[in-house]
Amino acid sequence: MSHPDHPASPGTRPTHAHPNYILIWVFLAALTAVELSVAFLPWPKTVIILVLVGMAFWKAALVGLYYMHLRFEPKRLRILAIAPLPLFAVLVLAVITEYIW
Amino acid sequence: MAHAAAMHEDVMLPPPSREAGAGVYNEKLGMWIFLGSEVMFFTALIGTYVILRFAHPSSWKAPGQVLNIPVTAINTFLLICSSVTMVKAFAAAQDGLQRQLRLWLLATVIIGASFVGVQVYEYTHLIEKGFVPSEGLYGSTFYTMTGFHGFHVTMGVICMMFVTARAFQGKYTKDDHRGVEVIGLYWHFVDLVWIILFTIVYLI
Amino acid sequence: MATTATGTAPYTRDHGHVDDRSFLRKYIFSTDHKIIGIQFLLMSLTFLLLGGTLAMVMRWQLGFPGKPLPGGTLLPDTYTSNGVVLPEFYNSAVTMHGTFMVFFAIMPLLVGVFGNYLIPLKIGAPDMAFPRINMASFWTAVPAGLLMLAGFFVEGGSAAAGWTSYAPLSARSDLSGVHLGQIFWCLGLIVLGLSSIMGSFNYITTVINMRAPGMNWFRLPLSIWALFVTACLVLLAIPVLSGAAILLLFDQTIGTKFFEPTAGGQPLLWQHLFWFFGHPEVYILILPAMGMASDIIANGARKPVFGYTSMVLAIIAIGFLGWGVWGHHMFQSGMNPTLGTTFMISTLLISVPSAIKTFNWLGTIWQGNITFHVPMLHALAFVSMFVIGGLSGVFMAASPFDIYIHDTYFIVAHLHYVLFGGSLFAIFAAVTYWYPKMFGRMMSPFWGRVHFWLTLVFYNCVFFPMHQLGLHGHMRRIYDPTQYAFLREVQPVNVFISISAFCLFATQFIFAVNFIASWFTGEKAPNNPWLDNGLEWTVASPPPHGNFGATVPTVYRGPYEYSSPHSDKDYLPQNLPMPGGLGSAHPQQAGD
Repeated sequence: MSHPDHPASPGTRPTHAHPNYILIWVFLAALTAVELSVAFLPWPKTVIILVLVGMAFWKAALVGLYYMHLRFEPKRLRILAIAPLPLFAVLVLAVITEYIW
Repeated sequence: MAHAAAMHEDVMLPPPSREAGAGVYNEKLGMWIFLGSEVMFFTALIGTYVILRFAHPSSWKAPGQVLNIPVTAINTFLLICSSVTMVKAFAAAQDGLQRQLRLWLLATVIIGASFVGVQVYEYTHLIEKGFVPSEGLYGSTFYTMTGFHGFHVTMGVICMMFVTARAFQGKYTKDDHRGVEVIGLYWHFVDLVWIILFTIVYLI
Repeated sequence: MATTATGTAPYTRDHGHVDDRSFLRKYIFSTDHKIIGIQFLLMSLTFLLLGGTLAMVMRWQLGFPGKPLPGGTLLPDTYTSNGVVLPEFYNSAVTMHGTFMVFFAIMPLLVGVFGNYLIPLKIGAPDMAFPRINMASFWTAVPAGLLMLAGFFVEGGSAAAGWTSYAPLSARSDLSGVHLGQIFWCLGLIVLGLSSIMGSFNYITTVINMRAPGMNWFRLPLSIWALFVTACLVLLAIPVLSGAAILLLFDQTIGTKFFEPTAGGQPLLWQHLFWFFGHPEVYILILPAMGMASDIIANGARKPVFGYTSMVLAIIAIGFLGWGVWGHHMFQSGMNPTLGTTFMISTLLISVPSAIKTFNWLGTIWQGNITFHVPMLHALAFVSMFVIGGLSGVFMAASPFDIYIHDTYFIVAHLHYVLFGGSLFAIFAAVTYWYPKMFGRMMSPFWGRVHFWLTLVFYNCVFFPMHQLGLHGHMRRIYDPTQYAFLREVQPVNVFISISAFCLFATQFIFAVNFIASWFTGEKAPNNPWLDNGLEWTVASPPPHGNFGATVPTVYRGPYEYSSPHSDKDYLPQNLPMPGGLGSAHPQQAGD
């Protein structure tokens, strides 16, 4: 995983102060709690789904941006990281038209 | 040519990366690219779920009717905790704090393993209740998606044990802690997948 | 260099080092990308032979239905009866021919062999970014191949649901009659997927991060560009196939219902998942061939590649568009017709970059001082055969026409024109071209020419008449065409195709013998037998472990400076500094 023979590896020194990881953890836990309560509200199913998926993406973004420190990475790495996501959309949207068109 | 000091086999390996191209070192870039392929793997599984659910909604039950949401909610919380311990371990490695690094890594291993344990408990109870993979589309997609996620967590715990053992040998310094960062990326990715899975499998 | 003489260091990274690795570490479990490339070469040529043998079984049955297969009595009773091929065995042969050729021959030949061998050498890196993962990639591919082969030795025979394994035929053993064989097929593909992913993220990291100083993106040889984009496609497409194969495996073994229509499962979903992988796969199988052919054509024509930048952009465009065309495999599946039109338009669109590449190859040859060496001959055959295959591809992209020729021999002709006429000719070109670098000896040019001309003639005799068969309505997967009156009248064409196919198969032994014999008795190869500009030709043949020794090469220009007026030779190596500032180690263009 790493070569101890080459100790002078560049790039692993922090170039920014640590983000407040605990605060993000509190956010994630709180969002999960909100999700749990929203799931059982007597709202229309579509609204519930949209709200839940929105919150899931919010949480996923928090993890990606801060815990995987994408926010502090070079722009090209950020592009590389999100590059496969459009393919998910292409596959699912194209196939779903079989059923809802 | 003054470079020919005592040569070890590893000298034949590439020299430490020069941060060319992507501006990050090889192992990190490699992990991000690998995660791209993982995204596509879960695209196949989650995409299948979404499509089948659109095609045949009646196979699914309302949330909480079959699946045990309280137990899973606790499990979700566990995984979020393991992510924060992981990132604290990485921060400790960046600051060169060896003791904290080891403790946070150990905590991550333990919490990660408990996640797998709770999942096994959940599976056994569901199977006892007669909710099995061959039950229909609900069971098929549930076990495939959560099962492969569990498999990824298990792999992550095994790799994390390896990293923890190396941390206890003092292999990660303030200057070079690539292993901690790379395993961390994988770990957070697995957490991220669970965030999505928990919402779409259990709550919708 | 003096330090090697002291005797304290067993080996250094200088040229002429003493390499004291054990035989096992050097040739079997080697982390050296060159050895791994050669290992992949030997493995995939073996599978090429196997797949070819299965094709001969099919051609025998189609040409001479009901006649005993020569040597057929040696096969078990479940395969033949009195030497006559049984329908079950015919299904197996069709399925495994496709599977072996696509996944274990062409794909590893292009990506596994040349990805491994060429990328580090051509970009000036000492090895891959992750040499041990690279080794693991090969040693995962071997068990995958064995798993596939194992199907032949289990009850019920090997997989028989076609190489596309359409559900529910593949998912239910009561429909296909094969249970264990289908399971082995899924397992083999899943394991092979692991191997491909390990390979591809290695290639991508290496190309992005380990280029030599001065080797900016727009100085990369087109072969590396093509292999890079291919690696991206492999990385993103293969996991989808693995996921789909896992779902299919679960349907077969633990009774899940993904593709089971009686329980709400969707058979069409398998087709969508398979072709969502499958169409990028088509480009995985042709892009590296295009890239390597570009290198060889420029070398043979002694001219720079015409329109280098447009070539690169065309490769990238194919890499993107390749994701949006999978539905053209499914026009006849009962898919939503609106979706069909969308896919028809996107498919017609993707022929544009391929056409750009074709015209650029022609532009490269135009007024060149052409050297017809064996690799050049194969590369020119690649271009012309690819044009034929590409043109029939444009026909069938139009869904109204596809309805007529779907699942006929027209499709078989088309796919063999691009896979055999395209990829395999480029593979022959590339193997002969880089053989001196791999093994340090030249392949015999005389036997190379004999093999080339016979292959070209017999190949066209086999596959061109298939267009006619297809338009006549000859089904793609049929055990005995003579059972239909309308096909009996074209049976002579089938006989002609079969005899040509046997000749084509026999011709390949010339290549095999040339390949093996040259390894031991071939003429010793100089460092740069083809007078090429690439970095790999600046080192010894074969290059030492670590490739470039202690000096990392510095690159001053692109790889296609042939017949340059600035040089007294007709080539100008990429790493040759020129007085007067021709070329620069630190180019102005952005692109690093």
